[in-house]
Amino acid sequence: MKTELNICHLYPDILNLYGDRGNIITLRRRLAARGIGVTVDECSIGQSLDIDGYDIFFIGGGQDFEQEVLLRDLAGGKGRDIRTAVEEDKVFLAICGGYQMLGQYYKTWDGVQLDFIGALDIHTVGAKERMIGNYMFQTTPESSGALVVGFENHSGKTYLGESVAPLGMVVAGFGNNGEDQTEGARYRNVFATYSHGSLLPKNPVLCDFILQTALERKYGAAEPLLILDDTLEQNAHDYMQKRLSKA
Amino acid sequence: MKLKTRLAVLVCKAAGAVLRRLGRGGTNLPGKLALRIDGDILGALSQGVKVTVVTGTNGKTTTSRMIEKAFEDAGLRYFANKSGANLLTGIIAVFAQHCTLSGKCPYTHALIECDEAAFRTASKFLPVECLVVNNIFRDQLDRYGEITHTLNAIREGITHIPEATVCLNADCSLTASLARALPNKVVWFGVNVPIYEDAAHELSDAPYCIRCKTEYEYDYVTYGHLGGFRCPKCGYRRHAPDIAVTKVVSAGADASDVLLSVYGREHEVHINLPGGYNIYNAAAAAAAAHVVGIGEETALGALAAFECGFGRAEQFSLGACQARMLLVKNPAGFNQVINLIAHDDGVCKLAFLLNDRFADGTDISWIWDVDFESLAAQQARFTRVLVSGIRADDMALRLKYAGFPLDRLAVVRDFGALLDEIGADDTPAFLMPTYTAMFDLRGEIGRRTNVKAFYE
Repeated sequence: MKTELNICHLYPDILNLYGDRGNIITLRRRLAARGIGVTVDECSIGQSLDIDGYDIFFIGGGQDFEQEVLLRDLAGGKGRDIRTAVEEDKVFLAICGGYQMLGQYYKTWDGVQLDFIGALDIHTVGAKERMIGNYMFQTTPESSGALVVGFENHSGKTYLGESVAPLGMVVAGFGNNGEDQTEGARYRNVFATYSHGSLLPKNPVLCDFILQTALERKYGAAEPLLILDDTLEQNAHDYMQKRLSKA
Repeated sequence: MKLKTRLAVLVCKAAGAVLRRLGRGGTNLPGKLALRIDGDILGALSQGVKVTVVTGTNGKTTTSRMIEKAFEDAGLRYFANKSGANLLTGIIAVFAQHCTLSGKCPYTHALIECDEAAFRTASKFLPVECLVVNNIFRDQLDRYGEITHTLNAIREGITHIPEATVCLNADCSLTASLARALPNKVVWFGVNVPIYEDAAHELSDAPYCIRCKTEYEYDYVTYGHLGGFRCPKCGYRRHAPDIAVTKVVSAGADASDVLLSVYGREHEVHINLPGGYNIYNAAAAAAAAHVVGIGEETALGALAAFECGFGRAEQFSLGACQARMLLVKNPAGFNQVINLIAHDDGVCKLAFLLNDRFADGTDISWIWDVDFESLAAQQARFTRVLVSGIRADDMALRLKYAGFPLDRLAVVRDFGALLDEIGADDTPAFLMPTYTAMFDLRGEIGRRTNVKAFYE
C-alpha cells in the first residue's frame, strides 16, 4: 500500500487573502519530495464535505465581505462536519480568519456577536487597531518546538479557553491578542495561527511536524520523514529571525 | 486670492525649491506645510482648471502618460503630476508649483494621477471634468485593509464631483459597481475578447457578486477577475463598453496591436507598450481623451507614440545585454508581467527584486499568490534566474517551490553585482523590481558610465 495523504483545501476561492495557498504548495512539495503520495481537493460553498476522505484540512484567511456567504454555508452542515473531524483527531491547519472561524464566536468592537463553528474553545473580540507586522513565536514542544517567523495582520483579539493550548509564545509582535503573549491554538490535531508569510515555506520544521502528525494519525507509528535540503527555507527563516531579534 | 492662500503658495514653492536644490525631490513636505497654512488651498489653486483624474489599483501611471501624450499632441495648456506625488500633499505641491505667486493658475487643464485612498479627500477640492477608474485589485493589504475599503473610498470620492464624467472599466465587476445610482455621466471602456490563450493561473479577487453575493458566471476572462461577468441571481452584469477593444491583432514583447471601437467607429491602434494590462490602459486613455474633447485621430495616435519609462517596460542597455524593467506591485500586476514573458519566445535571463519597505507593502505574502509556476514550466528558456532585494531569500524560496531549477537560481544581494551578472552576456533580460527596488536599481544603473537609459 502506497503511503498517501489527502488534503482538503476549504473555501479556497474565498479564504485566500494573504498568500495562504503557499501552505498548500509547500505541503504538496514536501510530501512529493519524499515519495509520499498527495492529493489536494478543494471544497467551497455549496459542496458537501466528506471528512473521511481527508487527512489534512486547510483553512486560510479572508475578507469580511464574503463572511456572510461563508457563515451561511457552514450553518448548512459543514460546521458540524468540521467539529466531528476535529474530535476524530484529523489534522487541521487554520490561518487567521480560518483560525477565528473554528472558535465559538466573534464579537465586533461595537458589540455585535457572530456565532462561529465552535470546534475550538476560543473566541475573538474585534479591536479598532489592527495588529500588523512581521512577528515571531516559539512553538511549544507539543507543536514541534520550532521558532516560527511570519506576518500577522488582524484586528480580532483571540482568547483561548481552558481546553485549548497556545501553539506557541510570542517572541516579537502581538500574537493572539497582544496581551497574554500567546500565539495561535493547539487542540487535538488542530494547528491554528495568525501567521501569514506564507507560514509553512520558511518554517519547514513546523511543516514536517504537521505532516508527521497526519501520517501517524493515518498509519499509526510512521517512519520519520526523510531529511530534505532546506538551505533556502532556512535562509528565509533566519533572515527574519535576525531582523526581529535586532528590533 | 486670500492672503493665507498666497502665503501657503509661497511656502510651498520655497520649500520645494530648497528641497530640489538639496537633491531631494518627491517629498510630501511642501504640500504638508501649505495645507497647514490653508486647508482649502487645493480648491483655491485649481479653480477654473479642467482636471482629469486617474485612479484605481493598477496602471495609473501608464494611463496618465498615455493621456498626457494626447493632451500634448492636442496642444492643450496642461500640467501633470508624477507617480511619486499622487497623495493629497503631492497634488497640492504640483498645483502650487504651476501657479503664479499670487495663486493664479495659467493652465487650462491638469492631469492628476491619484492614490485611491487619497482620492476620497482630493475630489472635495478639485474641479474634476473627467475621472478614470482603471480597476480594483487586492494590493498592499497591510495598508488598505480590504479590497472593499478601496472601492468605498473611490465611491465616496465620486460623490464630491457629480458634474464629472466618469470613465469606468466595464470588465471589472468592482469598478463597474460604482455606476449604480450615480448622477454622473458614465463612459464605459473594456475589452470584448480574451487577450491570451493560456493565461497565468490566478485567483479571482472578486468571485462573488458585489450586490447579492452569488458566484459570478463569465463568458470570457481577460485576466484576474476582469472579463464578461454576470450574476445568475440578481442580473448584475458587464455593461457593453462605449470604448471597446474588439480584437487583439497581436500582443508581442514590445507592443500590442488592437482594433478599438470608439462609439462604433473602429480604428486600428498600435500601443507602444507590451502586455494585456496596457491594452486596458489604452482603452481607458482613449475614453478620457474622448471626454476631454480631443479628436480621435490625435488620441489614438498618442497611444502609438507615448513614452512611459520608470519601470513600465522601460529598456536599458546593460553591458552586452538589452534589459527590460517591469515594475511589479501586486499579484494581478505580476501575473500580467508573467503572461507577457510567457508569451514571448526565445532565451532570456530573469531577475526578481523584492523589497518590503512601506511603499512596496511590508507584507510579502502576496508572492505566493503569483503564478510563478507557469514561468517555471518554461524553465529551459531562462539561462539565469537572479534574485535580489531586501527579501531576496523569500523570493528564492518562492521560486524553488514554483519548480525553478536550483542550479540556475542565484541570490545576488548587491545591485552592482547583479547588474554585472546581467550585463555579462547578450542574452536579453527581464528585470522585475518592486517599487523601492526599482528606484534603487535605477540609481545604480545611473551611477554606471557604461550604461545609458533610453526610452523607445
